[in-house]
Amino acid sequence: MNNGTILTGTGLSKKYGDLEVVKGVSLSIDTSEFVCLVGKSGCGKTTLLSLLSGLERPTAGKVMLDGKDITSASEDELALFRRENVGFIFQSFNLIPTLSAWENVALPLFPIKMSGDERKRRATDLLERMDLGHRMDHLPSALSGGEKQRVAIARALVNNPKIIFADEPIGNLDSATGDAIMEILNRLHTQEGVAILMVTHEVELAKSADRLIRMHDGEVIS
Amino acid sequence: MNLRYLGNELYYQKRRTLAAVIGLSIGIALLIILNALSMAYRRAAHVPLQEIGADVTVQRPGDVPKDLTGVVFPCSAVTIRDDQVKKIESLPGVRGIGKAVLLWIFDPNRAWIVLGVEQQNSVGPAVLRSAVTDGHFLEPGKPEALVEISYARQFGIKVGDTISMAGASFPVVGLVDASRAAKIAVANVYVPIEEAQKLAAASSQVQSVSPFSPTDVNLLFIKADQEKITNLALELRDIVDKKATIGTPDSFLKLLGSLFALSDKFTMAASLIAILVAVLIAFKTMAGNITERARDIGVLKAVGWINRNVVTQLLAESVVECFMAGILGLLIALVAAYGLSFMKVSFPIPWEMSPTPHFLPGGGDQIFKTLRLPVHVSWTLAAFAILLSVVIGGLTGALLGRNVSKIKPSEVLRHE
Repeated sequence: MNNGTILTGTGLSKKYGDLEVVKGVSLSIDTSEFVCLVGKSGCGKTTLLSLLSGLERPTAGKVMLDGKDITSASEDELALFRRENVGFIFQSFNLIPTLSAWENVALPLFPIKMSGDERKRRATDLLERMDLGHRMDHLPSALSGGEKQRVAIARALVNNPKIIFADEPIGNLDSATGDAIMEILNRLHTQEGVAILMVTHEVELAKSADRLIRMHDGEVIS
Repeated sequence: MNLRYLGNELYYQKRRTLAAVIGLSIGIALLIILNALSMAYRRAAHVPLQEIGADVTVQRPGDVPKDLTGVVFPCSAVTIRDDQVKKIESLPGVRGIGKAVLLWIFDPNRAWIVLGVEQQNSVGPAVLRSAVTDGHFLEPGKPEALVEISYARQFGIKVGDTISMAGASFPVVGLVDASRAAKIAVANVYVPIEEAQKLAAASSQVQSVSPFSPTDVNLLFIKADQEKITNLALELRDIVDKKATIGTPDSFLKLLGSLFALSDKFTMAASLIAILVAVLIAFKTMAGNITERARDIGVLKAVGWINRNVVTQLLAESVVECFMAGILGLLIALVAAYGLSFMKVSFPIPWEMSPTPHFLPGGGDQIFKTLRLPVHVSWTLAAFAILLSVVIGGLTGALLGRNVSKIKPSEVLRHE
């Protein structure tokens, strides 16, 4: 399924004052590859994910995402790049509390010139695929944890991304709901060929991934 | 900018929306009310003079007559010469002049306050025409008299009677109700101005105090361009007398002593404070809004909203909130204005402007012109307030745009 490299990080470091959280990490992810980044809490996984996804700038090193060097891009260029190429799934869902499920899914499309009907159609199609057709008009406060995460996954997919960054996507869910979410992620990877970089501290979850990267104290150890 | 997101934020974050809208609306309402009140006092100050068809009155004070016998001038109104009147007529801003002669006549058995009026002039005491209750108004060229109704009752004078004053006879052709007329230059008897001029010119008492020819007068009523009244008052003093009594809407305002009436600067300062409070409330609410929504803003940026998209969204929310606050502030102000319009204001009429001998019944009493305060919120003021609200919303939103750009998604979205 691998057709080339979608993401490359070279010599990535991140310092906050004197504290070096990520230390000279280099890695690459192929198109359609499902990679799990595992390690204990505080080892620098989330920071590395932020560097690779363009949410944060490295102190040193370079990130190439879909052939573009994103380390030199401006804030707005990065935002536009994320809008077109990247999807995010967060542990705490990060849905907008005042928007309904379908509006949250359509959120990345709001700044794009397109008809309201088209926006809603794309959002509702994705929610149908997540078995949330009956919850489209509900606010996040009316959804369960699993439903919220499925809405978040739908939001990550609405812009047809080349890669999804998932940061502890089932960290706030019970095991049954977590399994269901993992099944969806696996399906996205196998059936739709979306590359996934998932951060987790549970090695068990990484079983279904194509590759496992272990981190310890800011460094990749295997 | 997404209208659905904007609407949802305002609707679902009711506490935040209400706090912003109510806070700002109070500032806007204060601004409108302060200005409406100030304008109401200014409008009200025109009423005592408008009732006599004028914007300015002119009198020249003089000496007290040696003996109060026969025809005399009140000490507050002595001769204004015909040549002075002609000069005044040519002043810029003067749109019309009404002349009158006010006399006190002390006959052996009765005292009269007599006002000679120009029957055909709409500026000045001829506006009494509408206060005639019995008979008719003075006709040109006829030596007739109108008698004030309460004076007529007191002395049993009726329409058709003939009264004699300083040896001259006048048929009474009508009665006037002074309570319905102006409070300035109130008299017991009204005669054609030519008759009053003849009486004054023939009086040795008048001539000894203030030389008077039959074309002179001692009261002037001027209709003037509103914006030129202040300058006109100065020029009138130059022509008539430095000590002349010039009655203007401003001089009535000063008599009231109210802070709103006294000073435009007070209204201006209070309005500025109201605006400042409104701006601070809007700014504080918006700043709090951005802090509270840092995570949401982080999400927007993470999913691809550029700074301009986020700022435009928040700016639109701010403008809509402030617009709503403007509307609410206007409604509050309209209700308050309605309530305040029941308030009465009493302008004291200076004795000089309606002189009555102190020894006559009621002569020492202070006369007041009492009226309901005409508090209205003008369209201009309402539009200005709404526009100001929107501008405050826009400025606040734009200023806080900087804070938005400082929010880093990676920092606010990092899980606990």
